[in-house]
Amino acid sequence: MAGMQFGIFSVGDVTPDPLTGVAPSEVERIRAMVTIAKKAEEVGLDVFATGEHHNPPFVPSSPTTLLGYIAGQTERLILSTSTTLITTNDPVKIAEDFSMLQHLAGGRVDLMLGRGNTGPVYPWFGQDIRDAIPLTVEHYGLLRRLWREKVVDWSGKYRTPLQGFTLAPQPLDGVPPFVWHGSIRTPEVAEIAAYYGDGFFANHIFWPPSHTRRMVQLYRERFEHYGHGSGDQAIVGLGGHVFMRPNSQDAVAEFRPYFDNAPVYGHGPSLEEFAAQTPLTVGSPQQVIDRTLGFRNYAGDYQRQFFLLDHAGLPLKTVLEQLDLLGEQVIPVLRKEFQVGRSQHVPDAPTHESLVRTKTAETKPSKISSSGQGQQS
Amino acid sequence: MTKLTVISGGLRQPSSTRLLADRITAAVQAELARFTITASSSMIELRPLGHAIIDAMLTGLANAELEFAFETVANADGLIAVTPAFNVSYSGLFKSFFDVLPQETLYDMPVLIAATGGTERHSLVLEHALRPMFSYLHAIVAPTGVYAATNDFGAHGGSVGLAERISKAANDFARLLRACGNRTRRDAFTEDLTEMQRLLTAASKPSEDATVED
Repeated sequence: MAGMQFGIFSVGDVTPDPLTGVAPSEVERIRAMVTIAKKAEEVGLDVFATGEHHNPPFVPSSPTTLLGYIAGQTERLILSTSTTLITTNDPVKIAEDFSMLQHLAGGRVDLMLGRGNTGPVYPWFGQDIRDAIPLTVEHYGLLRRLWREKVVDWSGKYRTPLQGFTLAPQPLDGVPPFVWHGSIRTPEVAEIAAYYGDGFFANHIFWPPSHTRRMVQLYRERFEHYGHGSGDQAIVGLGGHVFMRPNSQDAVAEFRPYFDNAPVYGHGPSLEEFAAQTPLTVGSPQQVIDRTLGFRNYAGDYQRQFFLLDHAGLPLKTVLEQLDLLGEQVIPVLRKEFQVGRSQHVPDAPTHESLVRTKTAETKPSKISSSGQGQQS
Repeated sequence: MTKLTVISGGLRQPSSTRLLADRITAAVQAELARFTITASSSMIELRPLGHAIIDAMLTGLANAELEFAFETVANADGLIAVTPAFNVSYSGLFKSFFDVLPQETLYDMPVLIAATGGTERHSLVLEHALRPMFSYLHAIVAPTGVYAATNDFGAHGGSVGLAERISKAANDFARLLRACGNRTRRDAFTEDLTEMQRLLTAASKPSEDATVED
């Protein structure tokens, strides 16, 4: 797939539908996530990402189990996370889980790392939220080595040392999954993404554009500083937050009770205020297209656009209708329009195939593949 | 040029809290003028920001007006903060503004604290509520605050020494402002970044040596 990637990211919340007061059961919600992911592939989206949470009212505590199950029922969809907790998960287990998932999914895997900002979760996994930043740096440094070195000797502050550790299974085709670093508000995330030449995903949806502009600009500058390419070649992803109906008045009327009672921003600003201050777009598919195309005015040409669709107690049927509108009316236009004026040297989002091609080219510098279709697995 | 930002937590119109804030501001400007220092002042009334402050507390998102207030505080060389006393403390709205103000904003900021109340019996609200909060926020709190009770505004025979108390507090605060000079704004964004760069560089040192190519 050339150009931008489009996908959905799910928090996995179990929230009562404010119209009925009834919440889905955990099993209903988990199965709904699977249905939503399969629908995403069916309507032509590229990526499905799940959150990771370890407390009610959320269900996805074990993302690679969920993604592995979805991988078995899809053909094309890239499976990702939003986010994988680099602080409280053991990096050895992250390396194992995602290597395994890569093999099962034929490489259709990447992941987005995040710190996690729920204080009580840290001690459940033997950590302390006050160490979140040094933990991130140490854990990620180890994770990278586990995916790149056959035998790892390692010692650090937050985990028992490793002596002669070999990861099994090894990453598919010797290529680790591409890593994004997800940020809601902190500049440290942009820095670590830039340092390693990884992707930077700005959550975007709870903040004004001025904030996202600053974060993305910082990441691009630092990416260039660390020698990974020019700033406009850095790999950027953005979140989006939409609710659509063919008639925009209908969209506002239908979404308002869900907005007003949503766990994160409910009982706070009005829908109109929040939509003015953040990327939230409630309206017609055309309004979603126009707003989304505007993101590049402050983020530059970017690689991945996610949308938040299934949350706040919206019924599964409604979410699937949203996916139909997104797939039929919005994404085809966005794919086309985002290509207009896009610089030739702006890369696409890395995929397993593209990373394998890069690796092959590096191993055999004399013969650079230009077929562009060479899947190795 | 010294930039003063003034916060008034008064709720009514006219507000004795706003009135006190204005009198203190004028007195501080007059004190600084004696040393040929011009001081500008920007007034932030919290009442019109009430909804925005609670929204920011619930969502973490400040609207444009609240963001402007944050900037006005951050860019000041000195802060004059005046609250009505409610239930033996600052008002909830006053506290909430500082609860949503970005961290580090008041670091090294000279602050003059003041409060209004129905009776003189609550005058220690300055010492047991306002001073500890601003100390916690790493502000430099002037030793003399001003507390004004209904008596100061309405007693027969005029105020019981309010003008003198304001004058004394303004004198102290002006000396503090002159000693501190123009304030360099602390940039938490850059500080976080520098710390992260240090961590990354330190973390990658040993692994570089040990890297094994497969």
